[in-house]
Order: sequence, then structure tokens, then C-alpha cells
Amino acid sequence: MILAVLLIVAQIGAQDPRLDRLDPDTRAQVTVVVDSARRVGLPAEPLIQRALEGATKGAPGPRIVTAVRRLSTDLGTARAALGDEASAPELEAGVAALRAGATPQVLANLHGVRRPPLTMALSVLADLVASGVPADSAAAAVLALAPKARDADLVEFRRTVERDIALGAPPAAATSTRVNAGAVDIYSAGSNPGPARPRRP
Amino acid sequence: MFEQEDDIVERVIQQLRRPVAIDPAMDARVMQAITALRPSQRRVWPWVAAAALLGAVMFWRPWSRGSDAERPDILQFVLVAPHANSVSLVGDFNDWDPKRSPMRTANGIWATVVQLAPGRYRYAFLVNGVEWRADPGAPTALDDEFGTPSSVVTVGGKGS
Repeated sequence: MILAVLLIVAQIGAQDPRLDRLDPDTRAQVTVVVDSARRVGLPAEPLIQRALEGATKGAPGPRIVTAVRRLSTDLGTARAALGDEASAPELEAGVAALRAGATPQVLANLHGVRRPPLTMALSVLADLVASGVPADSAAAAVLALAPKARDADLVEFRRTVERDIALGAPPAAATSTRVNAGAVDIYSAGSNPGPARPRRP
Repeated sequence: MFEQEDDIVERVIQQLRRPVAIDPAMDARVMQAITALRPSQRRVWPWVAAAALLGAVMFWRPWSRGSDAERPDILQFVLVAPHANSVSLVGDFNDWDPKRSPMRTANGIWATVVQLAPGRYRYAFLVNGVEWRADPGAPTALDDEFGTPSSVVTVGGKGS
């Protein structure tokens, strides 16, 4: 009995105060998911942020809990593909890539051909799909560029493809064209980042 | 009267010119006193060395010279909303709290600057406290589970 009370007190004490923005029912369920994730070594912060996003956007409690549970599952899938040493940002980007349609095997392949951190490569993959590029084309493009391209090169590649799509190019064609052209640019371009100033997303 | 004073001065000078007998053991005593001081001087040196080391560490800041992958980036977020009364930037980087990053306006262009550590962040603009808008200049978040648009920004290392 005393042990149970102590456990409850300890759990209340361990609750993240930021989750007070959730209603008590939702907070309790989210806390269970967050604690489970922590126990298996998954990052808790993305789960907390997803719950806070839902709270700020006025989403109903059950939807918040579903979103947090789903994210926890996907973080586990991303870690299985990227390895136990993957960082929290890499896992989050891995989730984005998985949800964009990349398979766990694509994530594993990327892990095999590129030195960490893989955050930007995985994000570019997800962002290309969000721009309309088919998932397999986006995955193939990122895998082709990943071994030697810097993060900045991958971002520039994404922007160029997005520009081509905005100008009317079919997304898959724009991607493959830019992969071929980009490979030349990436391997020959100098790396002069210019003066430091706030950049745009 | 002046002669009397001259006598006095002369006597003082005479006294001062008298040879003074110095104890032959004086040199030895002085050296002994110096030797006695040395241990305390030795105790000071570790502190001086520690202070120098601390100063060097504070100057070079090795903890902020980690790999590029861990270096934060400064980003400017901009939204054109000429009719808005208030715009806040909310996202994974500020606990989705509208009070944390209010944006400033100049002729309807709302902007704010945020420092972000490497990672992938979801965010959105909250206009007039009720209207959610994605960033038209950034990739869209595909997994929008709450029915309002969000954008994503990725801060990478290695010269991104």
C-alpha cells in the first residue's frame, strides 16, 4: 500500500509540468506513453511537443493521445532502421521520412551510405515528398546524393527541385534531372558559405 | 640663535655618521626568514595555475566548440499579413506557446528571429490568436494530425 502510494507520488513528481496544459484524462494517458517511451530509450521530447501542439491547436484529447501513441510507435520503427545510436533529431527526421512513404529499408540504406548526422538527408527526403515528388523518386535521389553531398547541398537540391516544380516541371522528372546535374555541382562546388546572417527556413 | 640651531644640526649629523655595529648573524637571520616564506609561496602556485587554466577554458569555451553538428543556427521567420493585429510563431522549439515568440511588424511584414539547435521542427503562425497559417516559404508538415496546417524547418550541422 505504502509502496503504491510512493509510486504514484513519484509518478506525479516525474510528470512534465508542461503537460498541465492538457486536461487531466489526456495528461494521464500521454504521461503513460511518454514514460513507456523513456523506459525503452526513445526520446520523450518529440512526444511532449506533439501533445503540446495538439493542446495549443485545441484538438480533442483522444486525438492528442492517438497522435502521441502513433509518434511513439514510429520513433521505435525509425530507431530499428537507423540503429540504437541514432540521435533524437535523426529519429524525428526518420519518422518524417517514414510517414512520407520511405520504407525502413531506405532509412537503413541511408544509414549505411552516409555518416551521421542523417537529420538533414532524412528531412530533405520527407520535404521532397511534401512537394509532390513520389516517395520512391525522393528516396532514390537522396540515396544517390547522400554519400558525398553536404547538408547544405541537400537543402539546395531540395530548393531547386521545388523551384522547378513550381515552374511546371513534373516532380519525378525535376528530381531525376536535378540529381544528375546536382551530382556534378556537389562534387565540384566550393564551400563558401558567405557572411553569417539569419537564414530563412 | 641661529648658531645654536647649527650646533644641533651638526650634532645630529655626527650621530648619523657614527658607524653602527651590525650583528654578524643578521644575514643568516634574513635568509632564514626568506626560507620560511617559501612553503606558503609554493601553496599559492597551484591556485595561480588553476586560475590560469580556468581563464583559458573560459576564453576558448571548448563546450561550445563541439562538432558543427551540435552548433545552433539563427533563423528568421517571416509572414506577410498586412491585416493582422498580432502574429505569433509557435512550434516544437517554444513548447507551442504563443506568448514565447510574438512577431514584430513593419508595414504588414511580420518577422522574428529564433536560435535553433540542429533538428527537425514543426511550427506554424498564429494570426490574431485564432487563425493558423503554415509558412508559405517552407516545406509543409505532411503529418498534420490536428486539422491545421504546419510547416517544418530542419537545422542541420556540417555547414547547412
